[in-house]
Amino acid sequence: MNKKILILMLPITILACNFLFPLQDVATQIPPTNIPQNPIEKPQPTKIHEEKKTQLTTERTEYDTFTVVRLHPEDGDLQNLLAVEAEYAISQGFMPVVEFDATWCPPCQAIDKAINSKNKLMMDAYSGTYIIKLDTDEWGWRNGKVKNFRFDGIPVYFKLDEKGHQSGEVIDGGAWGEDIPENIAPVMDEFFHNS
Amino acid sequence: MKRNFLLVLVIAITTASCNSQARPSYELAALTENEVTVSIYLDKNIDGEYFLSATFTPPDGYHLYSKDIPITGVDGLGRPTLLELTAESQMKSLGELIESVNAEIPNFEPKELLVYPPGTVTLSLPVELPQGDGWLQGVVKVTYMACSGGGCKAPVTGKLVPIRIPGVDLFGLHGR
Repeated sequence: MNKKILILMLPITILACNFLFPLQDVATQIPPTNIPQNPIEKPQPTKIHEEKKTQLTTERTEYDTFTVVRLHPEDGDLQNLLAVEAEYAISQGFMPVVEFDATWCPPCQAIDKAINSKNKLMMDAYSGTYIIKLDTDEWGWRNGKVKNFRFDGIPVYFKLDEKGHQSGEVIDGGAWGEDIPENIAPVMDEFFHNS
Repeated sequence: MKRNFLLVLVIAITTASCNSQARPSYELAALTENEVTVSIYLDKNIDGEYFLSATFTPPDGYHLYSKDIPITGVDGLGRPTLLELTAESQMKSLGELIESVNAEIPNFEPKELLVYPPGTVTLSLPVELPQGDGWLQGVVKVTYMACSGGGCKAPVTGKLVPIRIPGVDLFGLHGR
């Protein structure tokens, strides 16, 4: 008799449990993580995006009076990239300048540090420039050349014309002594603004 | 007078001859890359120990980095100056690299990026030469990077330099 009641109570208990604590409720307490609740539409590229595509793929840092961008080989052909960047820089009233640097180069990193810390001397010296940085390891510095840029030490700066070609004015770290803003800034100021 | 002069001459010749026998030297290779000239040679000290040496000469005003900084630099900056045997080398290393000048703490950050004073640096590795009186083909590896206060030449990392290694019996016969 007791056994029959027990057997009868078991399915009733299970049903009651399911009713009181439905499984679906448990599932909805943990929101799905990989399915967006409200999928956002991917923005479609506009004509402007297409035209300025190369500029959108660069790393860009805008300071008060000058801009620094970094180009990578995966962005495209170097001369095409430089043409776009130089044209853009000049249209904005800036002087386009290519700088070659590297992560292993202490003087190059010292310059970056001085600029990142917004050293006043460096800010003034770089005023009005559009610095296009190229890492020599990424772009391949072989036999003293990266593409059609020739140099034997870094950092080195090449002024560009409006088509992104070298204007012929070049300066490198040999122009100043120890890599401190007090040495670098006057030389770069002269190169950028008076040469 | 004449006798004294002859005596001095004999002593001078003998001394020069003894010196050249005490420190024979073989130039094994020389190269210039990224404006640093590297001369690799073997020599023997007065105790009969053999040393594989490399003299690194950067351009005027440029310095090299300590042999003791990491191969990838300090925080990525700089590259060590190294002379290394390869795993297949016929020579056997008998100790650590010895530097001709001490590295110094730089006057820029990071201070752990030890540099040699501007100019030439020689690194020497005590080695055991292969047996025999013949020449063997081999390679050594060199690493270096030259910088001045304002700029750097491109680093040379693990460059394999072909050399001809004299057997231990040959060394004493022809070493300069």
